[in-house]
Amino acid sequence: METKPSGSPTSLVDQFVMPGDEALDLSTMSNQTIKLGRSLRQDGDVLSVMKAGTFKFSKPNKYWVESSQKRYEPHAGDSVLGIVVDSKADNFLVDIKGPALAFLPVLAFEGGTRRNIPKFEAGTLIYVRVVKANPGMNPELSCTDASGKAAEFGQLKDGYMFESSTGLSRMLLSSPTCPVLDALGKKLSFEIAVGLNGRVWVNATSPSTVIVVANGIMNSEFKSGVQQRGMVEKLLQNLKLST
Amino acid sequence: MEIDRLDGRKANQLRPLACSRNILNRAHGSASWTQGDTKVLVAVYGPKAGTKKNENPEKACIEVIWKPKSGQIGKLEREYEMIVKRTLQSICILNINPNTTTSVIVQVINDDGAVSFTLLPCAINAACAALVDAGIPLKHLAVAICCCLADSGYIILDPTKLEEQSMKAYAYLVFPNSILSVRPEGSLKVQGEPMEHGVITSGTQGAMSVDDYLNCLERGRAATAKMSTVLRRNLQPQIAGDLSKAG
Repeated sequence: METKPSGSPTSLVDQFVMPGDEALDLSTMSNQTIKLGRSLRQDGDVLSVMKAGTFKFSKPNKYWVESSQKRYEPHAGDSVLGIVVDSKADNFLVDIKGPALAFLPVLAFEGGTRRNIPKFEAGTLIYVRVVKANPGMNPELSCTDASGKAAEFGQLKDGYMFESSTGLSRMLLSSPTCPVLDALGKKLSFEIAVGLNGRVWVNATSPSTVIVVANGIMNSEFKSGVQQRGMVEKLLQNLKLST
Repeated sequence: MEIDRLDGRKANQLRPLACSRNILNRAHGSASWTQGDTKVLVAVYGPKAGTKKNENPEKACIEVIWKPKSGQIGKLEREYEMIVKRTLQSICILNINPNTTTSVIVQVINDDGAVSFTLLPCAINAACAALVDAGIPLKHLAVAICCCLADSGYIILDPTKLEEQSMKAYAYLVFPNSILSVRPEGSLKVQGEPMEHGVITSGTQGAMSVDDYLNCLERGRAATAKMSTVLRRNLQPQIAGDLSKAG
């Protein structure tokens, strides 16, 4: 990172910013409507940063700060992996690694009625969608997509779940497919569910495949594309040697 | 008049600083801060649901636990906990996650000998870095520094334990860090002074005159610019080559 010799930088887009940095001067753009994404807040005439990360901009008018943490901040529309903690009359209480427990209404399933409420015990792993995430309230979840279909949401049986950071989850979900998943997918067959809250679930027919996939993903966080492919090669070689 | 410091530093020179983040596997955020021989490790857990009994449920609550290097926990540790808690409360944005508790655990790894006065500034710096690592929303960061006053009226920064013993009085000061801004320099000032000149926390021990105290403030402010750059450089995450091109 460069230190600016004198004067102020004209734009902090794509730069590393820390809490307190003033990322955008709003007085120079009084005619535009800007969308504030994550970790930015309006402080009078400037947008100031709340979390350390990279300041990003996407056309036409969206600004946000991209950072990677171990905890999750719930955001409407995200797909996450939750663990059921308790079940009440109307809701399941689900832990999604956020500041508060989330509620999953008992009827929020495709074709859900009072007669066929699923029996989720404490400890069940479920793939859900965040419907509402308002500050100060518990987030609300649903096992259907926006149109009411099941769409792969629901309980994840068997397999292995491990925790990651939110940045790694975003990288796994990026398109085009991230290099580590691409390299693993060419040689092995497995099933994977990635939650934006930093949880990843892997399932495959044999345990050694599950372990190789999990290790590959966990080691790929700070590597570039080429390094990821090299690392996957080595893991696959070890797998062949042992079988 | 020049004072010869035992380790050859000049009056305004700080000890070697080192900071690293994300050290602990299970903590949600962690950082360690080393100034010379003084080393402090801070772990942050949270935000977790629920607040303590006497705390305001409309705000986030910060709980600090201070663990000394050795010995039992007594009143001195409670005082440190209170000072760190108040300092962190003033830099966190407390109304973003109401009714949550963030636990900050400060572990003293190494202290220049027995309890020294530079421990608290070191802990505040480390706690600030750990909060950033955990992703707790902050208004700005804090940098803390310790200065002491010799009998001759000379002020030196960042004393070691041996130097402290011969001093008349000492003060630790916490300032906001220097920020990057896209605004021109002129408009950053609040009532004619840049924001970095505000004092978040100040504590003194020993008797010093008002002029000496103001002198300490001046020296402290000058040194915090360097600490801000160290903090900024060390908090940058390891960036993989093509992460920013995804999507």
